[in-house]
Amino acid sequence: MTQPAAPRPAAPRLISSAGPRLAALLLGAACVAWAATPLAYRGLAQTALFIAVVAVVAGGLRLALADIPQPDDYYLQSGYQRSWLVFLGLLRTWPWEEIVAVAALIVEVQHPARPWHTAALGAGLAAYLLVTHIAESNADPAPVLRRQVKLLAVGACLLALGAGFAMLPAAAPGAGAGLLRVLAAAAVIAATALVLPA
Amino acid sequence: MAALTDLEPALTELGPSIAVRSEKAAVTWRPSRHARRLVTLAIAALLLAVISRRPELAGVAGPPLLLLGLGRVSRGGLEDQLEIRVGLTATRVYEGEPAGVDVTVAGGEHDARWVFEAGKGIEPTSATSVNGHAVRFTFTVDRWGKRKLGKVTLSLHDRWRLSEGRVAFTLPAIDVYPSPAVQRTQVVLSKLPNRLGEHRARVPGEGVEFTGVREFVPGDRQRAINWPATTRRGRLQVNTFAAERSQDVVLLVDATSDVGAPGESALDLALRGAAGAARAYLAGRDRVGVITYQWGGARWLAPSLGRRQEYKIIDVLIDADTGYTRGAVFSRLPRAALPPGSLVVVFSPLLDNRFVEALRDMRERGFALIVVDVLNAEPPRKRAFADSAARRVWHLEQQAIRFSLRELGVPVVTWDGKAPLDIPLAPLTRRPLVTRR
Repeated sequence: MTQPAAPRPAAPRLISSAGPRLAALLLGAACVAWAATPLAYRGLAQTALFIAVVAVVAGGLRLALADIPQPDDYYLQSGYQRSWLVFLGLLRTWPWEEIVAVAALIVEVQHPARPWHTAALGAGLAAYLLVTHIAESNADPAPVLRRQVKLLAVGACLLALGAGFAMLPAAAPGAGAGLLRVLAAAAVIAATALVLPA
Repeated sequence: MAALTDLEPALTELGPSIAVRSEKAAVTWRPSRHARRLVTLAIAALLLAVISRRPELAGVAGPPLLLLGLGRVSRGGLEDQLEIRVGLTATRVYEGEPAGVDVTVAGGEHDARWVFEAGKGIEPTSATSVNGHAVRFTFTVDRWGKRKLGKVTLSLHDRWRLSEGRVAFTLPAIDVYPSPAVQRTQVVLSKLPNRLGEHRARVPGEGVEFTGVREFVPGDRQRAINWPATTRRGRLQVNTFAAERSQDVVLLVDATSDVGAPGESALDLALRGAAGAARAYLAGRDRVGVITYQWGGARWLAPSLGRRQEYKIIDVLIDADTGYTRGAVFSRLPRAALPPGSLVVVFSPLLDNRFVEALRDMRERGFALIVVDVLNAEPPRKRAFADSAARRVWHLEQQAIRFSLRELGVPVVTWDGKAPLDIPLAPLTRRPLVTRR
């Protein structure tokens, strides 16, 4: 019988998959911390903050435990194992990243208007979702980011546009406001150029 | 679209394989989890922007909406079908022998991720991918049988990772042969059929083994003249040689009961022993056949020669099934599978009385039998008196079965599955086996 070719040494998969997972967890935590600073004690702030923290931790755990297989049959498992599998199922069923995004935005809304701060939170959340997707799909981050670099630039322009637009009523007429309008127009032109098919 | 022929370099890099299937598979595209999360982020940001009257939150919704719109525009380029080739490094493997399955996909440029869901009894060992278009999964199988390799799922992502395509296809089955026991010596009958072979017979013939010297008679070959003896005796003397014959060997495997731990059960040992014996006797130019005795009937293969026969024998062996069929009755083994004067090597745990009766019947019909006892399990030890008494009764019954066979002139040897088969068979391989009716 034909002997198969000797398998080549596999890449250090553990390390390569741990990087994006850790990055996702850190980005999620940073987004929540960014949205919560300074701590607000009114309205839904504390509840939303609590939910956001729980969701970040649960999302991180989901990614960390993603490689553990889940058996189809629970009947032959012991009580401890069943509890563990139920916990794993809970981690894998709930949309923790969406909860983080919504809760972080709610926490952000509890603060007074701060356009650039909100724009940075938007950038952070978009990065958090992208890195989470990279981590859970075991994709190579470099090619994925390389393909999306133009789009990321356009997204940053849109965020700047939004933040600038939010600042317009507050800005006094003068050179600063004019510069802001020029930047917003440039962002719109750049976005249009990139979105239109070649 | 790249055709499969364009992927020859990738296949070459993976190594040789036998193509077993080539087909077109439909791709099911749907929004990815990333897309769903972006939708959630955009909707939440827009809602909060409206509720709180803060336009910067609408800006947060901008990048996700832009990305989703772009994904929508570029979705038309996604392919609905992919051409898939599945190849195996070997269609037959022995237990524990590594093998590989190659999957090659011809299609557009996508981010591809392969997932191999191994079938029952398949132990994946490694995976090697070439440019995402071809992959080789290597695996081992620890137990004999016809094994389904499992399923491969290919997940594809578009450029923006907003659409996720899935192609799932079932891998072919593979024949896993029992790892043959080591056997170098052969049991040879004292009375061999008149057919050219390699075993030394008791009658004179044209073999190469010297048996004696006799006086020359007209018609003898000149090259057989023994000149020293001729000089001493003063008359022409010629050397005589033993005839070389082959024998018919029938391997009888008892598949009626499979006791013991999986992988080391009685049936595992029986099949490995039979495979080893088939190899040894076929190497000695004997004609070897096989009978698997199981519930629902016996499967058999008439004795024949050659390497091909070894694989045919093992194909019959791995079809052995211990499944219970009510109403199966065995009175005699099939005559066509048992040539007169053949040596019957039996691999059995001797647990089924009907099988033991069949052995007695065969012995009474004059067949030369050797029983290799492959029972390596016993009832569990328990403290209750009734249990220990039942266990002792069971042991006595087993001893009685073996004693009754020995009394009929059937040698019973015990084999543990680890040592070479030559060791338990050593008393029988030293000299020709004399069988009396």
